[in-house]
Amino acid sequence: MDWNTMLSYNWGAMMPEFIILGTAMILSILDLFWPKHFNRRKLAWLALTGIILACLSLISLLSFESVSILSDTFRLDSFAKAFKLLLLFGAGLIILLAESYEPQEGLHEHRGEFYYLFLTALLGAMIMSSSGDLITLFVGLELLSLSSYILVGIRKHDLKSNEASMKYVINGGISTAITLFGMSYLYGVTGSVNLAEMSRTMAALTDGQLQYIMGLAFFMVFVGLSFKIAAAPFHMWAPDVYEGAPTPVVAFLSVISKIAGFVIILRIFLSLFQTASGDVFGALDFLEKNNIYIASLAGLTIIIGNVIALRQQNLKRLFAYSSIAHAGYLLVAVATLGGGYFLMDTVWYYLLAYVLMNIGVFAVIQLLSSQSGSDDISILAGLGKKSPYLAIAFTVFILSLAGIPGTTGFIGKLNIFLGTFITEPGHFVLAGIMIAGTIVSYVYYFGLLVQVFFRPFHSDKVIKIRSGLYTVLIICVIGTIIFGVAPNLAFDFIHDQFGDFTDFISSK
Amino acid sequence: MMENAWLIPIFPLVTFLVLLLSGGRLRERGAYIGIICTLASFILSLLVLMERFKEPTYKITIDWLSIGGTQLKAGFEINQLNALMLVIVSLVSLLVQLYSKGYMKGEERFSTFYAYLGFFTFAMLGLVMAPNLLQLYFFWELVGVGSFLLIGFYYYKQEAKNAAKKAFIMTRIGDVGLLVGIILLFWGTGSFEYGEIFQAVQSGVISNEGLTLIAILIFIGAVGKSGQFPLHSWLPDAMEGPTPVSALIHAATMVAAGVYLVATMFPLFLASSAAMQVVAITGGFTAIFAASIALVQKDVKRVLAYSTVSQLGFMMLALGTAGYVAGVFHLMTHAFFKALLFLAAGSVIHAIHTQDIEKMGGLWGKLNWTGPLFLTGTLAISGFPLLSGFFSKDEILMAAWENGNYLLFALAVITSFLTAFYMFRLFFMIFTGESRSQVKQVKESPSIMLLPMLVLAFLAVISGYVQTPWFGTFLGEWLMEGNETLLGGNSHSEGPVWIMVMAVLVSLAGIFLAYMIYAKKKLPRSWLVQENNEFYRVLDNKYYIDEIYHFTVGYAIKGLSLFLSYIERFIVGGVVSTVTISIEGLGKIGSKLQTGQVQRYGMIAFLGLAVLLVIFAVTGGYLR
Repeated sequence: MDWNTMLSYNWGAMMPEFIILGTAMILSILDLFWPKHFNRRKLAWLALTGIILACLSLISLLSFESVSILSDTFRLDSFAKAFKLLLLFGAGLIILLAESYEPQEGLHEHRGEFYYLFLTALLGAMIMSSSGDLITLFVGLELLSLSSYILVGIRKHDLKSNEASMKYVINGGISTAITLFGMSYLYGVTGSVNLAEMSRTMAALTDGQLQYIMGLAFFMVFVGLSFKIAAAPFHMWAPDVYEGAPTPVVAFLSVISKIAGFVIILRIFLSLFQTASGDVFGALDFLEKNNIYIASLAGLTIIIGNVIALRQQNLKRLFAYSSIAHAGYLLVAVATLGGGYFLMDTVWYYLLAYVLMNIGVFAVIQLLSSQSGSDDISILAGLGKKSPYLAIAFTVFILSLAGIPGTTGFIGKLNIFLGTFITEPGHFVLAGIMIAGTIVSYVYYFGLLVQVFFRPFHSDKVIKIRSGLYTVLIICVIGTIIFGVAPNLAFDFIHDQFGDFTDFISSK
Repeated sequence: MMENAWLIPIFPLVTFLVLLLSGGRLRERGAYIGIICTLASFILSLLVLMERFKEPTYKITIDWLSIGGTQLKAGFEINQLNALMLVIVSLVSLLVQLYSKGYMKGEERFSTFYAYLGFFTFAMLGLVMAPNLLQLYFFWELVGVGSFLLIGFYYYKQEAKNAAKKAFIMTRIGDVGLLVGIILLFWGTGSFEYGEIFQAVQSGVISNEGLTLIAILIFIGAVGKSGQFPLHSWLPDAMEGPTPVSALIHAATMVAAGVYLVATMFPLFLASSAAMQVVAITGGFTAIFAASIALVQKDVKRVLAYSTVSQLGFMMLALGTAGYVAGVFHLMTHAFFKALLFLAAGSVIHAIHTQDIEKMGGLWGKLNWTGPLFLTGTLAISGFPLLSGFFSKDEILMAAWENGNYLLFALAVITSFLTAFYMFRLFFMIFTGESRSQVKQVKESPSIMLLPMLVLAFLAVISGYVQTPWFGTFLGEWLMEGNETLLGGNSHSEGPVWIMVMAVLVSLAGIFLAYMIYAKKKLPRSWLVQENNEFYRVLDNKYYIDEIYHFTVGYAIKGLSLFLSYIERFIVGGVVSTVTISIEGLGKIGSKLQTGQVQRYGMIAFLGLAVLLVIFAVTGGYLR
């Protein structure tokens, strides 16, 4: 590759990534050289500006044809655009959360790192959604993972934070190893690391013996990546890590990291396993034939998440299990993705709903727990009397998470649910599990609302809301309601901008 | 202007939200917010109506949700009927809110009252504007909620609490019918949109029997909301709510929703003559049935309530005999004079603190404004010549005659005699004769209460002139414009002149009889029936309908519920507790597994992978 080819690339396609990278670098330099007494909280606004600029540049790229540069390792197709938009939106909200984060034992010495590690993690996630190559995919994944290991343990003197970080690193290491092992089989089968090329090779393979190798690769990649989305069987780290990590980081793990996990799963599954044939006759593709496995793991994840959540007294642990359950619902959509891309909008919409309602919930939790120094459910007690507006916002998020009509959560769940009937044959058992899981989830979700509205409050401390957190709450409440009442706003946007995601594989 | 019509229901919603959130601080100033917002709605409705005179129907919808191939839509529509309804609803609501500012003065939950009024008005306006059945049903239920809140406004009174519950449950019975009807209709035609439904109906997608069934089910919804026999008994009980509420909800708006529903779905009813028969007979029977009860009631508001039931029966009768224009016309005039009567009755109650007409009397000279206003309303409802009620009732009689249903025609004539009689009985008992009141110093109501009554009285006098045999049938022609094929195309019912003469004579006879008995006292009150006579007692106890319900439906349901509660307790309960116990057990096991040992987490992941691989290998990837 010479200088001229380098110059000939359409670097504009990478603009959002460059902006995030640049912002992260500026932040790290500022953090390094500015005097100690300088309050690093202000750096959050710089980070936010970077994210907004990246978002704007991405929006200006929306109308672009899909391009791939750097010998097809970096792709900007509709899939990448759609999910990067979600990632940036979620990251912007989380930076605002982080700005307002005030744990009782301080954070100021590492506050600078806090922000730029968020950005590098975000960069990793963005690279993942844009990569057309196993290597870049993996690099993006690792960038995201390594940054989040540090973020989880950023409160150096907090024992729980350390423990969480340690567990996260070890489990992450295991998951990476498994994923990589699976990928190496894929490389072995196809002799390439470029997704488009691999997909072509795999489409041509009809040897029945290769089915086993592909099965091996499929399960390893899937189990390895289920770590990122916190789904069975790799879900057990989530409650421990969530409990110890700082709240904005928890929001990050449960939203951004999860989106990234789904991005990489969809990338690999749809570009590789969907083109590979599932048997010697080529009647079914590999994914279609084996989606029973994804379906059973989805069902298992829903059951585990909802049932164990019933017994949780710690808010962060409770929402860890709740996020496991939501990963299960999303896996239902993946399992029913079936022969076409027509459920891609369902996944996207559900993730949007999830961004709004989950970040909203964590905003409330962060506010209450940093004031009381506890994560127990009882910190919600009496919120309805003490701060009715905050209680209403919290209620909106909870109703959305529980999937009550009128909220985004409902529409998202409804679409996934209906999707289970569209495929042939329908996943009726899975639909049943989803309903049962949702009903079980009412018990713990409404238990929280009982705390909010029917329990007396313990402390008379006035709740002070910083403007950043306030903005997050307002955006999340409005979004949750608007997209719940008029879901077509979002769906029309997806269909207008991204069509049916058909340029996923086709170009080059 | 019509494209901005969506703002009309938004204003009252704003009232509701603002008062709900900050009503405590605003207290009685909250009334201004309600009044100003409703005024805005009214002005906008009026502008919309003006524009609708000139322009065709305006309809805008957006796709709200697409499920499979079906698009569910949301939006609004302005056609003749609902443009008219918008004005009626917002006007009556506005006047009632003005009135309430005087009437509810000193009430502790004053701003809550206005918040509820705003909510109800929002729901009712939304109901009227709905362009499809799904949206209509949504607002239909909201209207029910609003009514529930307002009837039970004095929630600390046991009667009010029971009445609110009764109203909610009895209308719910009707709502179930409506819901089933809507679902069947959707099943048959694949759409909730009015236009598409009517087209499908006319092209004969649904069999005749199916149409009859659906129309009757939808009519059951209307029966519940409009207090038709046999679901009427909640309406008189609903008088436990504050009087302005009775004027708004139980005279002019909510109870008219049932009539509106039948009018909106009129093409569907027209397609099934059996359903039309059901509507007409139910309406006719309810009219005379309720009128006969009103003869002996002693509570002023209950007389008016039964009178409302009876008049709603009239409207249904008109619709059932293909008198679309007559029904809508009477809906409009009735809204004005009945709201006037309720407000005037409220003004009397406000002055002497009782609702028992036996304890009133001789108020004519003391309530210088309320008296004539009440008289205007009474004359209008009695069908006194040249007032609004005269024209609309005449139109209904003509429609019944033209339809050839002479039995129903006779019922209607007898009912108008009874109406004139009981209304003037009420008037004479309140305003003439000796004062039987405890209150010595009777004070006229403040002008904020009189002004709305004056406006309504004005309308009660003149609103009939939009549709007369002499000055043209403007209303009918306008309502029919462009809808001739759908609505049967009859803008005015023709009949022999003697019908009108007879109607006048009958109502004059009723007035005269009441005058002789209650004002002149020439005839003893027992002249018609003895007070302790069997017949009197039956009427006094409202045909024992409540008791019959109590002993049949009530006990049947109680028995059934006792039986079911055993099933519930032992069988369902057993299953449920098995499920909960096992889920809790699962949760326990799950959290036991969560030891905090990081190696175990890794092990579980490995185990999961291994199990998956083994299954895959054993089945050879052919698991299906």
